[in-house]
Formats: sequence, structure tokens, C-alpha cells
Amino acid sequence: MLPEPQLTPYADSPHRPLQGVRVLDLTTAVAGPVAALLLGALGAEVLRIETPWARPRHPASALDRFIGAKDEPWNREPRLNELANSKRSVALNLTTEAGREVFLDLVERSDVVLENFSPRVMGNFGLEWDVLSERNPEIIYVAMPAFGKSGPWRDRISYGPGIDAMSGLSWLTGYVDGGPLKPGNFYCDQNAGLTAALSTVAALLSRCRVGGQTVELAMLEGELQLIGEAMVGQQLSGREPARIGNEHSSAAPHGVYPTQPVLDDPDSWIAIACRSDDEWDGLLSVWCDEAVGCDRRFSTGLRRWRHRAVLDQRLAEWTQRWDPLELSDCLQQAGVPASPVMGARTLLRDEQVQARQSVGGLGHPQVGLSPAPQAAFRLSRTPAPPKNAAPLFAVDTVPVLREILGYSEERVAELLASGAASDRLRER
Amino acid sequence: MSERDSEAAPGPLGGVRVVELSETPAAAYCGRLLAGLGAVVTMVEPASGSALRRRGPVRGDVPDIEGGATHLHLNRGKRSLRLEIGSAAGRRLLDDLLAESDVLVIDLERGGWAGCGLQPDTILERHPILQVATITPYGLDGPKSWWRGSELTTYAAGGYLRIGGEPAREPVKAWGEQGCLQAGLHAALGVVSALYADCGGQRIDTAVYEAVAFLLGGGYQHAWFSDREPVRNGARLVGFGPGHLYPSTIRPCQDGWVHAHCNNRYPEAMAVLFDQPRLAEPDLLAALMGHADEVDELMAPMLMSTPRRAVVRRAQELRVPFTEVLAPSEVMADADGHHASRTFWQRTPHPRGGDYLAPGPAVRFGQTVWSDGEAPQLGQDNAMLGSPRELVRWRRAGVA
Repeated sequence: MLPEPQLTPYADSPHRPLQGVRVLDLTTAVAGPVAALLLGALGAEVLRIETPWARPRHPASALDRFIGAKDEPWNREPRLNELANSKRSVALNLTTEAGREVFLDLVERSDVVLENFSPRVMGNFGLEWDVLSERNPEIIYVAMPAFGKSGPWRDRISYGPGIDAMSGLSWLTGYVDGGPLKPGNFYCDQNAGLTAALSTVAALLSRCRVGGQTVELAMLEGELQLIGEAMVGQQLSGREPARIGNEHSSAAPHGVYPTQPVLDDPDSWIAIACRSDDEWDGLLSVWCDEAVGCDRRFSTGLRRWRHRAVLDQRLAEWTQRWDPLELSDCLQQAGVPASPVMGARTLLRDEQVQARQSVGGLGHPQVGLSPAPQAAFRLSRTPAPPKNAAPLFAVDTVPVLREILGYSEERVAELLASGAASDRLRER
Repeated sequence: MSERDSEAAPGPLGGVRVVELSETPAAAYCGRLLAGLGAVVTMVEPASGSALRRRGPVRGDVPDIEGGATHLHLNRGKRSLRLEIGSAAGRRLLDDLLAESDVLVIDLERGGWAGCGLQPDTILERHPILQVATITPYGLDGPKSWWRGSELTTYAAGGYLRIGGEPAREPVKAWGEQGCLQAGLHAALGVVSALYADCGGQRIDTAVYEAVAFLLGGGYQHAWFSDREPVRNGARLVGFGPGHLYPSTIRPCQDGWVHAHCNNRYPEAMAVLFDQPRLAEPDLLAALMGHADEVDELMAPMLMSTPRRAVVRRAQELRVPFTEVLAPSEVMADADGHHASRTFWQRTPHPRGGDYLAPGPAVRFGQTVWSDGEAPQLGQDNAMLGSPRELVRWRRAGVA
């Protein structure tokens, strides 16, 4: 019986690695916000620059309802709230000269500008690299275009899942007997976000040597690193790599097998990987099926792989009598890699997730305690878990104008009145 | 980029020295990224070579520890030392190497560390300014930290396997070792962050299942507030209600597949693209995901009578973000010359003669360079361990 889901609030960390770094975050969708939230958790002060008339319903929202009451739904959108954690919110209208001037004042006092528009957009705002670097030669300008800032596909548009298709990863992903599938909901975006965060910190490290610079992360080129093995292998063998589902290229059993329901969910499974004779012996020590143990078809690794269809069938008949966590524990004790096929519901109840706080809680002023995963590394001296829940829309506009830019009360009032800046959501 | 150019404009991590002990793509990709960013990365390998060297495909299907695809891709731009760290003398040499290094990246099975004196805290005691990055299936602490992991099982443990595939079938994972690669990427971010923090050596404890769990993104909010699990959705996005936008899916067309995606700001442009007025009717636009089967049917006549390149060209003209689903050979063939115009694919010498194309930069810097290079031959850099006489002694002793 699994316990109730738990969220332990993240503790504050007084010594984060990027303390003192300020990031201007112009990003939208998924990839850019992931990069920005990682930099925020690492200690940077991330100012999410939002359009005054729109914190739109996030296109990648997982729920068809907003959390809680109906007032201010733009502050209750779960997917957006997850992607905006560890940031502050400032609303500026960059299409006005006054809004653009505020942004450039911020550039003078910042370290990083991060955007993931298609390549023409920053030019439309009059915010190209030349303009930014003239105001601040030390600025790091990170762009995350889908296909790059040059080349025939420069002006094509695509969201992350479309890049998965262009990289070859979708073509390779899928069942042995099926067509191509996505490698996940937003796999390319997550990869691009992490790679952009990595590149940003690397550029900050080299700033004392070379000053400010541009960093261009084409999402497609970031993802091609993850399937280079297939590209190189295809040239060496002359064969197109095939979809192999959950199979191993030379070992069996290696797959996903049905189990007893967990949390009353019939969609419950266990993953088991036997890649060696030792792991096979470990599996047999738990399986205790004499007929399988004596079957010549399964007596060597190569034979097991050749007869994997019948072996998988026998194994599935056995696993479906088990609770997946109990069976995983037994198999692990016998030296066999195995795991329940977890989902978000079971992860929120998992003892390892609790112990490492893989997913912790952030207190949001309107929706209350909300889950947010942290990055997969733990720094022993400068811990960097998520810092704060998503900011309410434009809540930091006035403090930033007053405290970071030192604008007078009159000037702030003027900017708010003209709509160049905003401290609340406006009609367009 | 030639070696001379590299010296003139080193990468952002120029001057950083990394020691890599890898047997999975996790530490190898971490090392590859750090090498690409300009660090000097030295693989320390056993006499038989890193396990990654024995992965195919290889040319002519002839086993070759210098010519496997994984090695040729993930180990580019690194150095190789052949050193038995199981022996006391080997460990002393490793210790000398660590004394001159900034970072250690290690993904060996934890059982293998103990005998080699490689526990992170022990290393940090001897090398207090070293960044010690470990990558393990479940991390260094917690009740499952002793669990063994493989790509498939950690992918399952992190929750991302569950969302892949058809609702009526078993879940299916993404191709390759994406969980390990993501863990390598997380570890690399941890390493550069620790270097930037500049407050002495740190343990950088990376768990593969957490790198996978991080991919799940908004799934946690969904589960926390609804206590429901999303249902697998084939090639469609997973976990979205009927009011969500659609399509974001893979559909067959005349000569293959396209990735079909509406423009999130102008979903009604689909009506023009497919010459189907129904695709702009308000009830459908208000609940596109709820009408996904109908949308697929409306797209089918045009898709099945049109080659994918033509579909994508017309869609992009209308700012509808369709893309082609390309096979690896088609990505390399680069029909539009996009990769060529960006000199992405790098012609690289194969150790047995001839050459092959390898992926170029993950990221492009304005003032510093991304480094590629070749994958090292096993032990090619052993000369850096000492004088020729010492090398002879160590070779006789089976240390190096």
C-alpha cells in the first residue's frame, strides 16, 4: 500500500552558485523557460519579462482547468506556474520606445539576456546584439532558435516536438512493429533548456577573459548530439538503425511487463533488464520456474535473445501476479536491474523521491503548495533547489523599476500610465 | 576548427582539466560536453578499454575497440590513458593526475569504487579543490541508492517511460540511452556551476532517474492537483484535456510521415492549409484535442496525396509549424543544405582509414569556440604519465 502523496517544501539555500548574476528572460513556450528556471535555481536573479496584456493560457497546459478560484486565472495556470518558478515577473511593452528603453536600462545592469524567439523577432524589437552590447559590453546574449540563426531553415517555425521529427529521434522511437513516435511530450525543449543553461554558465565563466558574447543554441543541433551514435553507426554499417522499442540489441529478457494494479490503476508495469548471465541467474532465483530454468531455448544469452518473444510471454504471465514495487525489490536483491514503471502519481509517493527531494514543494500565494522537480545534481556546498514559486503576474515591475533601475516615483507612474510598463494584466 | 584556431580562441572552459572514468554514456556525454566547451578531458581506461568502446555498429561488422559508433561520437576531443586503477601503483598515478585536475567525472558502478578508494568524500579529503561529479542510477543517498540501474529501468523509475506509446499497449521508451545522456547533461551543468561558485571542491551527486524525472515537467502539477495519471496517447501529446490545441502529432502522408502541429496563435490557419473550412469552425477550435480523431480525418486526404516535403513547404509558408519526420540517413543527406550551410557535420578521420561525418557544435559562441576533434586511441596519451623509463616500469608491472 503506497502512502499518500507528499511534498516537502524546499529549504532556502543561502549560497547558490550564481548568486549576484542577473538574467533578463524573454523566453516563451517550454525550452527557454526551462533554461531560465535552472539559472534561477542556481542563484541568478531571473527577471521574466512579460507582455503587459497577456500572460496567455500556456499552450502546454496539462489541465483543462485552472487551480482553485476563478479570479486571476492567469496566476493559476499549472504548467506556466511550474515553468516560471525561481523567477520574478516584470511586465514591459517592448513595442513602445519607452518600454524598450526600460529594457535597455535593465541590460546595463544585467549579465545575461535569454530569448527563444524565431530569429527575426529581436530585430523587430530593435534589440539585436549590437544594440545590447553597446549598452553593456559584458552582456551574455543567449538565443535559442529552432533551427539556428542562419541557413535555409532559419525562418522556419517549429515547437520542440517538430524538432524531434527533424533530428531523426522520432523516426527511431517506437515499437518494433509500429511507426515513429514522439520521444516524450517536450523532450527536445527540455534538452535545449538544459544545454542553454550549461552554455550560459560556461560563457559567464569565460567573461573575465573575453567579455560579453553571443551564445546561439539551435534546438535541432542540441538534439543531434543525443543521436550522434545512430548517425555515425549508420555510416559505418551502411544500415539504417531500426526501431527496437524496449528491446536490447543483444540481450533478453529486456522489456516492460504487466503487474498487479498500483493505486487501482490497471495500467501498471515493471521494467526488467537482464543483460548478462549473472542477471539471468538472479532473475531465475526469484522466478523459481523449473521449466524455464531447464528450457534449452533460454540456456545462453544468444538463445534467450533469439527466443525473446516466447520468453517475454512466459515472464509476463509470471509478473502479472506481482506488485511491481515488491517484485522490483526482490529482483534488485538478486542483482537484477528492475523498477516499477513510475508515473507522476507514484513518484509523489516514492520513498527515494522523498529522501532526495527529487520533487519538492513551493508555496504559491494563490494556489498554495505546488510541486516542482529539481535538477538531477546535488551540489554539496552550494545547494541549488528551486527558489520560489511562480511570481504573480507583474508583481515585481514596480520594485524592479525603483530598486534596480532607481527610477523616481514620477517616472514609474508615467511608465505605468502610458502602458510601457505594467503592474497588472491589461487589456490589449 | 583547426588546432591552431583553437589555441587562438579557446573554448569557454579553456584551462579546465577533467578526468573521466566512464562506462556508460552518462559520464561520457558529460565529458564530451565539457570537452566541447574547451576543457581538456582525459579518459582513464582499463587495459581492455572503456566498455563504451565495445559498442557497435562498427565498420564491416568486425569488432574494433577504436571504431565503434558510440566511442567515435561520445569520446571525440578527449585524451586516453590506459591505467589499471585497481592496483596501488595505478591509484597513485590517478592520484597524481587528480592533483593537477579541476574536475573528476565518474559513473562506474558503486561496487567498483570501493576497492579503488574512489569514494567522493575520500577523494575530496585528498583533493579539496577538486569538483567530484558522480553519476549513479539512483544517487548516493536514499533507500534505493543501492538499486542497480539500466537505461530501461531508470527510464521507468523516472516516470518518462510511462507516457510513451499506445494506450492499449505497453509503454515504450525513446530510442537510445536518453536517460543516461540527460544525466550527463545535468552533471555537466552541475560541474560548471560548481566551477563558477569557486568555493572549493564539491560533491556533485547526479542521479539518472532524477534526470528522467525532470523531463516529466508539468506532470507533477497534474498529479498533485488531480491525483490522476495521464493516459498514453500514441503520437499525440499526452495529458491534455479536450480544450487543448491540436494537432501536435505524427501523421502518415504520401511518402512517409510528417509532424503536424498547429500554430498555437492562429490554429484556424489549418483550414487554409488543408482546404477544409470545418477546421476553422468555432466549436472545433474551442476543443481541438477533443476533436483529434476528426482533425486527423480532415487532414488525411491532402496528406495522403502529397509528398511530405511539399506538405511542409506549404505549411511553413502559412506559418503552420509542420516538419518532416526524417530517418537518420535523411538527416545526414541534408536535402535542403541547411546543415551544410552551417557546416554542422564534421568530416572526421576514422582510425582505420577514410572518414565519417560526426555532429558538430551543440552551441555556437561569438567569442570562444566549440571543440570537436577525434576520438582517442586507447592509451594514446600514456606518455603524459612520466618519463619513458617510468612508462616501461609501469607497463611491466601491468599498471599502465
